[in-house]
Amino acid sequence: MASHFEIELEKLKNVIIKIGNLAESQLSEAVKALLSEPMAEKKEVKKTEEKIDKLDVKIDEICQTIFALQQPVASDLRFIMASMQISNEIERIGDLAMSVIKNSKNIKDKHDLIIKFNVSELAKQVEQITVKMNQCFLDRSETTIGEIFVLNNSIKKGTDDTIHNLMNEMKSNSKAVVSGMNLVMVLKHLERISEHCTNIAEHVHFMIKAKIIKHEKFDDRQ
Amino acid sequence: MHKIESRNVDFFYGETQALHDISLSMKENTVTALIGPSGCGKSTYLRLLNRMNDLIDNTRMEGSILIDQKDIYLKNTNVDDLRKNVGMVFQKPNPFPKTIYENVAYGLRVNGIEDKKIIEERVVTSIEQVALWDEVKDKLKKSAFELSGGQQQRLCIARALAIQPSVLLMDEPTSALDPISTSKIEELIHELKNQYTIVIVTHNMQQAARVSDNTAFFYMGKLIEYDKTKTIFTKPAIKQTEDYITGRFG
Repeated sequence: MASHFEIELEKLKNVIIKIGNLAESQLSEAVKALLSEPMAEKKEVKKTEEKIDKLDVKIDEICQTIFALQQPVASDLRFIMASMQISNEIERIGDLAMSVIKNSKNIKDKHDLIIKFNVSELAKQVEQITVKMNQCFLDRSETTIGEIFVLNNSIKKGTDDTIHNLMNEMKSNSKAVVSGMNLVMVLKHLERISEHCTNIAEHVHFMIKAKIIKHEKFDDRQ
Repeated sequence: MHKIESRNVDFFYGETQALHDISLSMKENTVTALIGPSGCGKSTYLRLLNRMNDLIDNTRMEGSILIDQKDIYLKNTNVDDLRKNVGMVFQKPNPFPKTIYENVAYGLRVNGIEDKKIIEERVVTSIEQVALWDEVKDKLKKSAFELSGGQQQRLCIARALAIQPSVLLMDEPTSALDPISTSKIEELIHELKNQYTIVIVTHNMQQAARVSDNTAFFYMGKLIEYDKTKTIFTKPAIKQTEDYITGRFG
């Protein structure tokens, strides 16, 4: 029979899975809003954001209770510490997905820009990293963590290159500035989402290996 | 250099082997916590350090234990001198049916100290060391039984310190105390560490984590893991240790 403590840990794990899935679907909506017309249903997206915020608070409360009543140590302690941080990162992913939706509305001739600068490839990579982020929490696999680091590195490079090309476009064509600036912001949001997914992978790594690797350079991890 | 060093220690109660090949070294001025489920051998090991197990019939020890580089189980060891150097505090406060003052002075007299001035100095210093002086200075002639459990336990520690040992063994010293008295004893352990080498047996994981520098996990008479307390409670190397400290077995 599972102890009361184990039940609490399982509850925490399930809430993290739930909030992670919500963030993943929120990002899907954001990518849809960016790549296709018409926009995603605004009400639904707003509701999901509220759910994410509520779960973030719930996770803090569960962790606080476990700390106060169970005094966790070793792997339990690392799991709870990581959970608090993961929840924080996921909440930020939710917010950024909302920002992607908002900025996407202000991009005119979206299809042309997206095709010209191959934005869909980048957006799909960000969707992929979000799926992997949830996967790595579930399977606690070092392989998945490694894949996230590689993918994030590729997304960062892709974002830098695309923004550089967009800047050149705006320099030569002043009519493209408003849409171009909104697209730059969308790209920066997507890049930040990828960073948050990478941070989550780092927290999962801490959880399973008891080693803090945040702030390490990508090359040092290879 | 180690203050206490155990080498391949086996211990038997009659035919039953209670400790298996324990090798464990402790540095001077450190606190070492011995943890493990009931019957794992931690108290048996603790009592070997001042030869308290000699008092139990039909017991036998193999291997060696060195304190200050001297094997304390050599035939020519003066056990009284050893116990002066290695003081002990027990689970339940056990003051003598004497005054507060006499409780501390008694041990000095038994050990041949007659000079009243020296005795008084030691009594005051020891009671101050355990942060009890302000609470008892006006009632030194009263019975020790009038003190609370926590005060009695600190008095017993003062009694042990008066003999000026260099090692202090504590066998679950706070298990019979309330949280405030427990916290005072734990603070005291932090203070005493500067002058003494302390070995503490505790069933309270949080206490082990709070007070000790190193932790040894015993299970079924074996030393499973011994490391810095920080390591044991954050990333133990052995799964059995992890399972025990996280409350999954034992």
